[in-house]
Amino acid sequence: MAELKVNVTNLVKNYGSNHVLKGIDFKVANNEVVVLIGPSGSGKSTLLRCLNKLEEPTSGTIVIDGQDISDPKTDIDKARENIGMVFQHFNLFNNLSVSKNITLAPVELGKMSEEEAEKQARNLLETVGLEDKFDAMPASLSGGQKQRVAIARALAMKPDIMLFDEPTSALDPEMVGDVLNVMKKLAKEGMTMVVVTHEMGFAKEVADRVVFMADGNVVEEGTPEEVFDHPQNERTKSFLEKVINV
Amino acid sequence: MKKIVSMLCAFLGLFMIGFTVQPSSTAQASEKTYVIDTDVTFPPFVYANEDNKYVGIDMDLIRAIAKEEGFKIKIRPVGFNAAVQSVSSGQADGVIAGMSITDERKAKFDFSDPYYSSGIVMGVKPNGDFKSLKDLKGKKVAVKTGTSGADYANSIKDKYGFKVVTFDDSDNMYNDVKNGNSAGCFEDSAVLAYGVKTGLGLKIATKSTNIGDYGFAVKKGHNKELMKMFNEGLAKLKKNGEYDKIIERYTGEKATHAKKEKAANSHTIIGLLKENGGVIVSGLFETIKLTVISIICATLFGILIGFLGVVPNKIAQGVSGAVIYIFRGLPLIVLALFIYNGIPSLTGSKIPAFVAGVITLMLNEGAYIAAFVKGGIEAVDSGQMEAARSLGLPFGKAMRKVVLPQGIKIMIPSFINQFIITLKDTSILSVIGLLELTQTGKIIIARNLEGFRVWTIVAVIYLVLITVLTLLSKWVERRIKD
Repeated sequence: MAELKVNVTNLVKNYGSNHVLKGIDFKVANNEVVVLIGPSGSGKSTLLRCLNKLEEPTSGTIVIDGQDISDPKTDIDKARENIGMVFQHFNLFNNLSVSKNITLAPVELGKMSEEEAEKQARNLLETVGLEDKFDAMPASLSGGQKQRVAIARALAMKPDIMLFDEPTSALDPEMVGDVLNVMKKLAKEGMTMVVVTHEMGFAKEVADRVVFMADGNVVEEGTPEEVFDHPQNERTKSFLEKVINV
Repeated sequence: MKKIVSMLCAFLGLFMIGFTVQPSSTAQASEKTYVIDTDVTFPPFVYANEDNKYVGIDMDLIRAIAKEEGFKIKIRPVGFNAAVQSVSSGQADGVIAGMSITDERKAKFDFSDPYYSSGIVMGVKPNGDFKSLKDLKGKKVAVKTGTSGADYANSIKDKYGFKVVTFDDSDNMYNDVKNGNSAGCFEDSAVLAYGVKTGLGLKIATKSTNIGDYGFAVKKGHNKELMKMFNEGLAKLKKNGEYDKIIERYTGEKATHAKKEKAANSHTIIGLLKENGGVIVSGLFETIKLTVISIICATLFGILIGFLGVVPNKIAQGVSGAVIYIFRGLPLIVLALFIYNGIPSLTGSKIPAFVAGVITLMLNEGAYIAAFVKGGIEAVDSGQMEAARSLGLPFGKAMRKVVLPQGIKIMIPSFINQFIITLKDTSILSVIGLLELTQTGKIIIARNLEGFRVWTIVAVIYLVLITVLTLLSKWVERRIKD
């Protein structure tokens, strides 16, 4: 039990008559980096958002760190403290400075004093290479800088799992590298990560396991070599051809 | 989350109950004093004199009768419509306002013995070519809402083929004739005779048609003792000659001559200000008081209802939507009359006009505020809330620290706009007889018929108030944005 960070069984998500997830089983081990790939509309972002209950599952169980978060009795706010999330559109708090973005949650939730939180914020900004942006407002940052601040903000709660929802899709190409480097660093430090991305290079280099989804199902999964070099399923093959040949 | 919602609902409930229950306790304290409503824009029966005391045939009569019979009265100058409705809903004990005794009214009121026999005459422009009622074919005739003149006009309009135009007060009715829109107006003979003598600028063109008598009225089946005392007192006054003195005081040659000379001094804006400065200032303060209290109540109410509309709870959202739908959908004037006259009929407890006015504005302006508070919060990108929640912040904290500060910036211009509208809307509350700036203007005009100059003064005061309010709001806006 303990070695499994995420254990999803038979997860179904419907929007009315639209079946987005059709009974997914999905596991992530401790310290594992899992990359979700697949065509748009395949349900990978929905699966990811179910993992911290930003989406309410229709049925199925989601166990994170031994805790069943699909049980309505579970304190979801408490559970989310340990699940960091990075969004495609950054979602930095526009009304707060970079430092306040990072210190807000730890201070408000009583995790640390303001001084401790600020010290931590400086360290985190240094990790993502933005120590000089401590007092900046989000509006003055480029996309890549925003996303690195967003990662720092998620890390400030000291989560033991990080979810990335297409973190580089909204970035200019020259910004993508900076963000991916931060993510690689995190992976090397042993962070458990679930990443939805179209960056196949990143998947090949960093992922312990690649999961290919289509039409609300997991179609194929395995090591990057298995999935990228020897795909078994026709859907996987045709998807990879389209993506890699571009 | 549920806790917050139920607390908000409880608070809202208490708020409403507090307003409706409170006034009933004051009703008992004033048992011996009768509340008498009237319309002080109806000289020579009721009007405010140069010292802004309420005088006239009706006022002198009721005071003399009260003295004779040993009861106390409180006069409220609420206007004719509001007076009639207040009595029928139990907000006031009696009405004396040159009210004709009709069969229709007898269904709702008990009338005293007649205290004055009235007749209807027609007023026209002095230099016009009006000869007889037949000349009215295809023309318009002005009347005042709810008066016998209006009833009379409607009863003969088909016979003579004219159209009836209705006004809320005498001044507007007269002006419509003076500027030629209407060929003439039907009004009580004593009223019109008084106007003609005091320089109204119209002449009486027809003989008086006797249409009945004026009586003092109470709600049917209520205040029997008061009615008995009125009739006994009236009989005594007629016997001892006091009654004739009162009538002579207001319709005799002497009375109107003295009045004419004095009135000549007040045909300039400076003169009007000198003469009416006191009441204008007190009307101004009533408007300011009403505006400030209403803005505070409406803002709190609006924010509360707006929040209910965005919390993740279906019941709260339903309540919010319904409140906005109802109170934004109702015309302010209907809401004011409903709360002031309708609620007491349902609950049996009186509401002071000021409280009714504040509740009206709170509900109406509050509904608009709720709509843009809800809209302002919803205009903040949903990703902001998601990001805050993903960090483990509860809904309330995420709302307070992240979403609301961004939403408020969107809402500020709407708030300033709504405050200005609230200030202007206080003028509508003159329908329930609140002596605010507009009602004060109406009363002054009823006496001196200086419509143009008095409305100029009132308009300038409103503009000054709105300028001050705007500057104040902009200052607050700058403080918040920094």
